[in-house]
Amino acid sequence: MNLKAMRRRPMALLFIVCMMLLTSACGSTISNNASSDTTKTNSGSETVVESVKNTEPVKVVWWHSMSGELGKKLDQLVSDFNNSQQAVQVEAVFQGTYDESLNKLKAAMDSESSPTLMQVYEIGSRFMIDTKSVTPMQTFIDKENYDTTSLEPNILNYYTFDNQLYSMPFNTSNPILYYNKDAFKAAGLDPEKPPTTYEGVAKAAKALTTEGKSGASFAIYGWFMEQLLANQGKELIDNGNGRTSPATSSLLNSEAGVSILTWWKQMLDDKSIINLGRKTDDTKKAFAAGQIAMTLDSTASLRGIVSSTEGKFEVGTAFLPKPEGSNDGGVVVGGASLWIMNNRSQEEQQGAWEFIKFLAQPSTQANWHINTGYFPITKKAYDEQTVKDNLAKYPQFQTAVDQLHQTKPSLSTQGAVMGVFPEARQLTETAIEEVLNNSKSPQQALDDAAKAISSKIQEYNQTVNK
Amino acid sequence: MEKDLIIQPALKRTTLLPAFSTRSMRTNRWLERILAFVFLAPSLLLFSIFLFYPLIKSVYLSMNLTDPRGRVVQYVGLRNFTDLLTSELFYKSITVTLSFILLTVPTGIILSLILAWLAHTRLRGVQLFRFVFSLPMAISVGTGSIIWMVLYHPTLGTLNYFLSLLHIAPINWLSDPNWALLSIALMTVWMNLGFQFIVLLSGMQGVSEDIYDSAQIDGAGPLRTFFNLTIPLITPSIFFVTVVSMIGAFQAFGQINILTKGGPMNSTNVMVFNIYQDAFVNYRFGTGSAQALLLFFIVLILTLIQFKVLEKKVHYQ
Repeated sequence: MNLKAMRRRPMALLFIVCMMLLTSACGSTISNNASSDTTKTNSGSETVVESVKNTEPVKVVWWHSMSGELGKKLDQLVSDFNNSQQAVQVEAVFQGTYDESLNKLKAAMDSESSPTLMQVYEIGSRFMIDTKSVTPMQTFIDKENYDTTSLEPNILNYYTFDNQLYSMPFNTSNPILYYNKDAFKAAGLDPEKPPTTYEGVAKAAKALTTEGKSGASFAIYGWFMEQLLANQGKELIDNGNGRTSPATSSLLNSEAGVSILTWWKQMLDDKSIINLGRKTDDTKKAFAAGQIAMTLDSTASLRGIVSSTEGKFEVGTAFLPKPEGSNDGGVVVGGASLWIMNNRSQEEQQGAWEFIKFLAQPSTQANWHINTGYFPITKKAYDEQTVKDNLAKYPQFQTAVDQLHQTKPSLSTQGAVMGVFPEARQLTETAIEEVLNNSKSPQQALDDAAKAISSKIQEYNQTVNK
Repeated sequence: MEKDLIIQPALKRTTLLPAFSTRSMRTNRWLERILAFVFLAPSLLLFSIFLFYPLIKSVYLSMNLTDPRGRVVQYVGLRNFTDLLTSELFYKSITVTLSFILLTVPTGIILSLILAWLAHTRLRGVQLFRFVFSLPMAISVGTGSIIWMVLYHPTLGTLNYFLSLLHIAPINWLSDPNWALLSIALMTVWMNLGFQFIVLLSGMQGVSEDIYDSAQIDGAGPLRTFFNLTIPLITPSIFFVTVVSMIGAFQAFGQINILTKGGPMNSTNVMVFNIYQDAFVNYRFGTGSAQALLLFFIVLILTLIQFKVLEKKVHYQ
């Protein structure tokens, strides 16, 4: 009896164990947000109900990635639009970060739960085009002869492929240098003359480092690497940054790339900067707490940084630094744009286009700019009184705008396009970590990363039918 | 006379009954088997839909390339496997996974064993301690990770604040490649403690008091009782906890996804996270499936070894 039990029990246990293993393997199903049929609850619901009696309004589902303050502002824009007319009702659904939201879209494509309008980060552009599941914005523009001359040319450039505007830019940003003016004064530096070169930043960081406080910290973020390269007029990938024809290899390990990492690493070795990891959120918090005197961050963080430091110290903003003697280049447009999916009905797509036109209006863009720090996509927004007042009160906002306007248009500043951009970023970030943690030399780390990225690009090209 | 009377029925029995009973037993056995399958059918159906079909599909996907939308575009045979077996990253993620298991499983079990031993007394108020010790079980991976994220924050975190009180330089818990895996392991040990504690405590409570009493009469001290009586008697529980914790450690994902995303320098890139990255972020279902199958075999082999080797040490009462 005892023997039998001994023999039987392990088998039963083994079976349970195998089942646990198998069942938990499929635990991570992708949650398709099925909220597309939840009813709208708007302040103006009474007027909506009235119009329903006449004609059913077209419902446009919009997936976005704006969380926190940005999300609230965005919901307000949506309800403004919904209340302004009755033909189209937009439902904004927050789908997590850009990465998460794009993954959900991949899973939902071709199904009923997919959205009509989709916010995708700039580096997802090539992917969106390659899926062949979008209606280019140009189609709508041409149909109505919509005037795009007032839109910022630098922004349009990014989203134009084969002379077609594929998506409508919505929230655009670029990276700027934030610095603590009070700390500059305390260190004997001129708070009105922020450093503009690598050498200048290194020198300032050294001067700003005191007991318990560090001169600067930059998050290990692939985007900064891309921007610092473009700021020297260097391309990230071959074939004209993937613009003239699909890219085949990465140019990350160029001389410029190595010089960026050498500069970064040198400051870390001098103990004038600290490494706080990959999250810009961590550097932002450290900056707001006065623990670091300089940091790189997106202009989208401007509003948050200015208000979280109000009363504590004065924040200055400066252009993204360049190596001494470099005059080329500028910044690449970051942020996200709006895509219309082609598997939805014509009415829905048209409704989405109406909403996009509303978002591109100078007054909407002005409102969005002031409250977030993203810059307006239309030049006319600067004529709005609210924008003028805001720039007078917070001159920090001017930096982003100037940086955008002073960018010299070229293939490098137009921005790289590749289907495996998110993955390339991960690999770049690993390379930066390897350098900062003394595991590889800048040249070695970038060589390895470029090789890995190139093979990913080639594999991608192989799977995308041309 | 009497003999005859007795023998006859006995003969009848030996000649007729065996033939009759074997036939009935055979049909009975068949009926029983069919009945067993009828009872098993619902679960077999569910298993085939949710387990066997995906398994077969994984095998299929592992031999193909998928496009950015995850659709199969090209048959590549075993290329996904050869690519994996020649890639440095894959071996790195195996090493990371194994070190993660070594860091979490033994420490977790030893800690929960100590806690269970402490809580296995008849002191007043011990219920409160039992409640506290098993509390981590009530916290989800997501919540737990966020709590630890706050603790580990490089500049504003609680842990670095305590270090600063002791005049120790702050540690980049999650962004220093030498610390990241340790930090994740620490958090995981804490998170699994509740479950392991409950299983081991119930194992201890299942041991008859008589044995302790007689040990006490024989003059055994508390340590001797613990090592020579308690531990051998709860080996079934320890074995169960070991196997389940190991599999759990193989599948650790939530805390890594939230705290480090596999970084820095892939130092926390365990296999499951790598599979997730490849399959669901980069939509490369081919390599993702290939890795999943390899992971399956690794876990299977390790579990078999555990059952063959460790099981011998287990004492079933």
